[in-house]
Amino acid sequence: MNVAVTSPPLVEAIGLSKTFVTGGLFRHGRTVQAVRGVDATVKRAEAVGVVGESGSGKSTLGRLMLGLLPPTDGAINFDGRALRDIPRAEWRALRRRMQIVFQDPYGSLDPRRRIGAQIADGLEIHNVASAGECERRVGELLVRVGLDPTHAQRFPHEFSGGQRQRIGIARALATGPDFLVADEPVSALDVSIQAQIMQLLVDLRRDLGLALLFISHDLPVVRHLCDRVIVMYLGRVMEEGPAKEIFSAPAHPYTRALISATPRLDRAQRTKRILLAGDPPSPSDPPSGCVFRTRCAHAIARCAEAAPELRPFGDARRVACIRAEDIG
Amino acid sequence: MRRLWVPGALVALILLLALLAPWLGLPDPVRQDVANRLVGAMPGSPLGRDEFGRDVLSRLIWGARTSLAVAFASALIAGIVGTAFGLIGAWFRGLGELLAVRSMDIILCFPPVLLALLVVTLLGPGAGTLILVLSVLYLPIFARVAYAEALSARNHDYVEAVRALGAPTGRILLRTLLPNIAAPILVQLSLAVAAAVVLESGLSFLGLGVVPPAPSWGLMIRGARATMEQAPLLLLWPCAALTLTILAMNLLCDALRDAVDPRGLALRPRRRAIDRILPGLLPEAKPGTEATLGMRGLTVEIDTPRGVIRPVEDVSFAVHPGETLAIVGESGSGKSVTATSLMGLLPPAARVVAGGAWLQEKELLRLSEPELRKLRGGAIAMVFQDPMSSLNPVHRVGDQVAEAIKAHNKGISAAEAKKRVVALFRRVGIADPENRVTTFPHEMSGGMRQRVMIAMAIANQPALLIADEPTTALDVTVQAQILELLAELKRETKTALIFITHSLSVVAEIADHVTVMYAGQVVERGKVDEVFAGPLHPYTRALLAATPEGDAAPSGIPGVVPLPTAFPLGCRFAPRCKHAAPACEAAPVPLEEVRRDRLTRCVRWRELSAKAEAAA
Repeated sequence: MNVAVTSPPLVEAIGLSKTFVTGGLFRHGRTVQAVRGVDATVKRAEAVGVVGESGSGKSTLGRLMLGLLPPTDGAINFDGRALRDIPRAEWRALRRRMQIVFQDPYGSLDPRRRIGAQIADGLEIHNVASAGECERRVGELLVRVGLDPTHAQRFPHEFSGGQRQRIGIARALATGPDFLVADEPVSALDVSIQAQIMQLLVDLRRDLGLALLFISHDLPVVRHLCDRVIVMYLGRVMEEGPAKEIFSAPAHPYTRALISATPRLDRAQRTKRILLAGDPPSPSDPPSGCVFRTRCAHAIARCAEAAPELRPFGDARRVACIRAEDIG
Repeated sequence: MRRLWVPGALVALILLLALLAPWLGLPDPVRQDVANRLVGAMPGSPLGRDEFGRDVLSRLIWGARTSLAVAFASALIAGIVGTAFGLIGAWFRGLGELLAVRSMDIILCFPPVLLALLVVTLLGPGAGTLILVLSVLYLPIFARVAYAEALSARNHDYVEAVRALGAPTGRILLRTLLPNIAAPILVQLSLAVAAAVVLESGLSFLGLGVVPPAPSWGLMIRGARATMEQAPLLLLWPCAALTLTILAMNLLCDALRDAVDPRGLALRPRRRAIDRILPGLLPEAKPGTEATLGMRGLTVEIDTPRGVIRPVEDVSFAVHPGETLAIVGESGSGKSVTATSLMGLLPPAARVVAGGAWLQEKELLRLSEPELRKLRGGAIAMVFQDPMSSLNPVHRVGDQVAEAIKAHNKGISAAEAKKRVVALFRRVGIADPENRVTTFPHEMSGGMRQRVMIAMAIANQPALLIADEPTTALDVTVQAQILELLAELKRETKTALIFITHSLSVVAEIADHVTVMYAGQVVERGKVDEVFAGPLHPYTRALLAATPEGDAAPSGIPGVVPLPTAFPLGCRFAPRCKHAAPACEAAPVPLEEVRRDRLTRCVRWRELSAKAEAAA
């Protein structure tokens, strides 16, 4: 998985924020800051993992980077152009270059349409193939993801969870995207099927040169699949850098806790567990300063003063912790 | 599709009769013949004549034309316009929602008859006016149904997927949303047609609809009412026609709703009374151990439309006090069915056909419901995967735990129960327990709710605690806390724990013994360290390879778990096993005892483990 360090990013998020307002028409709504000031880049043919617990804003980040949600603040550049400057009609055409694979293999396919028609949707919408060619392309895509071309005539309920996930991937690949966001694509699957789907993603990335934003809470999966990792907590990036470095020597206390909490198969290898106290705070009422400080064993008074900036740490890494060096 | 035949033919017949009225050679429906007023059946008039001597059969069929035309036209107009309004409101929200859906609420405020009177006064009576009135009346219902359905459908990932493909809005609304909200709208359509026929009759009866002497069912009922005492049958015919039409319409719409759903009908469990009355088996001999729970040869059958299936077959295991047994397997392996049969909570269509489970001196599988109820939450307790759906959302969490205590400690005072609840909350690591007992489940986080579930489960010092995927829905940091808590509780209270999970690494964290299940059978059993260090069954080995430690690439297992309707005769894992040999598929493979407490269900385990050792 060689990635040229010098290549310009395919997708780039700059100071991205997203605030949701919940509540009714007359009540004063609560605001939830799902994503706050996130910078992220995905280069061509690079796989970037986004890890974090529920409420960390990782799914929101994925949808923002696809332009499916308008950001509250910040900008997204796709292939060197700012998304917000692209006219509507052109934007629609651009959609074929960025696609998404969902977590829930049951909710992500339309239960009332044959899967062939669903895979062909992208081809039809973008007028890239004639009817006959569509059929041929759908057959090819099904073979590509490890299914049979005759499956095109079946309905989603006739498939198992893993097969549905393959169909979802075929649908995303139909328009030949450069950038694929995979939002927890294997977490709803059995382990034996998880490995199948991960292998498929690895193959596809190698063969098609896809840039991948892989959102997951499962660290071993990310470790296996991604070149670079972004660790998020409560809407902010805690640590970012090459997957190998982060997993072997995490710098941020949150990353350490996350890695240590992951159950290990090998009892001998298990280190002393860092048990985090309590639950993540509510994203509608985050702590001041460093958002992680309320659960952090290394927190000091200065952590509450200002949100730590994401600063370089080592050659290729960035960490948002003022004590990263002290606690090493 | 077959279900469409009968109602479809019935509706077609009614429509055909109405459409073909001019060619049926019927007497003129408005020609009066006062001489034959109110006579019964006579030549040329099989149903007799009405109060003006008009032919009843002819009026019935001609009347159907008017009544049905009005009903169908108004229901269709209301259906199409209302659905469009609902879709637009749900998709665009904001201003679209205000215009399309809130405007409908204004119509709903008018009493229907008042509205009809108003329109009739303005436009004059007649079929056209009726269609207008009725479509306006039914419009809000369709708009609201379509709106509500579309609101929930638009949150599905498949809608997001077509949006991500760059589909224009019109295409999303018509091709993706509309088919998925069609079912309730079709039902609504049948109701609207039926109601419109009735309302047409009613309005015509009041003189606000079809103008006499033109025939309509409502006018016929109105006329017949006046002469009800002389000719009661005159009232029967239009009413019967009305009833038949409405019934046929309802049947057709139900059938249509099922037909447009490609998923087909849900499986309806068949429940045999005999299975309830006679368990049919003699209890098996109690195994002579000190185990908290000893399970022997559990076999469960379920009746399905495709025949009897056996999701669990010949499952045996034992758990000792203070010990954790993990049951691990993929979905469809039968691990949850095993747990629910222990609790006596199998669904009605399922039954235990063989085996026994001894909890101390009691045989669980053949206990009566009242005895089981005494045990549940007492000697055996269970923690489920989803704490949100297992806690009652409208009661305070403290009261729910107190309820569990009171159920098994008759005569305990409320104050004493509350004290125990607070102590339990403190025990399971809930901070500020005095105040937390008064919160509702939705005010707690997932991890907190799971702690409450555990508090409830240990409230009566159970001998056996069954935890069915208790950490699957939780974040890893919270999962680590819960696993730690369970391990602590087990150490302190000597409760036997059965831990059901699909995650091998969680097994490694918490369990002493592990039972690996595949397709309803135990395929390997033993101490966790031994099984993970030297798996004997290829399935266990494949599972371990699917979630490797460190940098090794995970390798999947080809194929899927077979359905219980298609279990292979021989080894059930053979179709996915890379070591499968002809001998594997020839006959059912027995569970073989390799040594004490170490079992495997593989005919080739000797040569395979020798090979693995040589490779290592």
